[in-house]
Amino acid sequence: MNTGGLVLVVGSLLSATAAFVWLALRLNGAPSGKKANGPQEALVDSAKEDVEHIFNDEFREELRNRGRLHFEKIIGENAMFLQQDLRQTTSQLNDYMRAEITRTLQEEFKKYEQSIADAKQLALGSIEKTIDTIEQQRQYLEQQLKTQSEEQKKHILKQFEGQMANIINHYILHAIGNQIDLSDQLEYILAELEANKQAIVEDIQRGA
Amino acid sequence: MELKIPITLVSRYDVSRLLRELNSLDDFFAGAKSRPAGTALPAPRPSNLLNQLVSDNQVNLLEEAQRQQLKARLEGLLKTAPQLRISFSSEPPAKVLEQILSWMRQNIHPTLLLQVGLQPNVAAGFMLRTPNKWFDMSLRPRLQKEQPYLIELIAGATGGQ
Repeated sequence: MNTGGLVLVVGSLLSATAAFVWLALRLNGAPSGKKANGPQEALVDSAKEDVEHIFNDEFREELRNRGRLHFEKIIGENAMFLQQDLRQTTSQLNDYMRAEITRTLQEEFKKYEQSIADAKQLALGSIEKTIDTIEQQRQYLEQQLKTQSEEQKKHILKQFEGQMANIINHYILHAIGNQIDLSDQLEYILAELEANKQAIVEDIQRGA
Repeated sequence: MELKIPITLVSRYDVSRLLRELNSLDDFFAGAKSRPAGTALPAPRPSNLLNQLVSDNQVNLLEEAQRQQLKARLEGLLKTAPQLRISFSSEPPAKVLEQILSWMRQNIHPTLLLQVGLQPNVAAGFMLRTPNKWFDMSLRPRLQKEQPYLIELIAGATGGQ
């Protein structure tokens, strides 16, 4: 039911009410005094009596009942119409609300999805940046480790080369111990003494 | 006349021991003079080293003057003889030590004395300490001298890694 129909129903209800009120007032407000002011008045009075005879209390009661029944019928019909309209309006309102809510929810969901997508993008960007940073750190550490390893290797080699004579001497000592007979070394000993003879003589001559 | 030092006289301890022997001989002869007649007095037996020294220098130990002269020479030797300290990885055989000392007395100083010591870190060769210097004639300096060759050998053994 549209607005026009609703206006029509309400209008008819109001008009029926007004007619009923008017009828009731008319019935209650009619004059009862007799005035013998000529034949016309007598006629009027007679007519009034006839009217009062016709529209006596029973008849009025009958009319009231009919009017009440009619009014109730109209009220009932209109109530039914109103109920139908109300139901229809409620249904439309429900549909409208459902549609609106659905649309709003969809919009909100879209916004939410967009927010999630943005957040996801942001998180991905952040993760990528973190991965890049970690990769850079890894490369830096790898380079540093490599450099340190090389330095350590060089240092160890240098140490080894510097101490090589001691290491081999120690190894020989450990391997053969005192098993080299000094008699066998005599030639070497005398050769060494001969090689250092001059220095020994000079040192002895110089004295303590 | 210069004192002839036997090759068996190696160190200052030997000289000190000879002096102690000569002193004991002096004591013996002094005691023999003052002993009662007919009393036996055991004579000290001179060591091989003293016998060798006396023989090399033709000294009569029965003569006090010669004994005193010998003592004076030995004391002089103790004061003036240069002493070197030689260290080996183990106790050197007497024969080896004699040969070394002989070479030293012929080539370095005729009255040279040696103090023999042990140096367990010496694998082969020896170490010599003069009054002011330390000569390392062990295997170590020789290996140090040959270091490039050793590095080459190790590099070859490890495939140049």
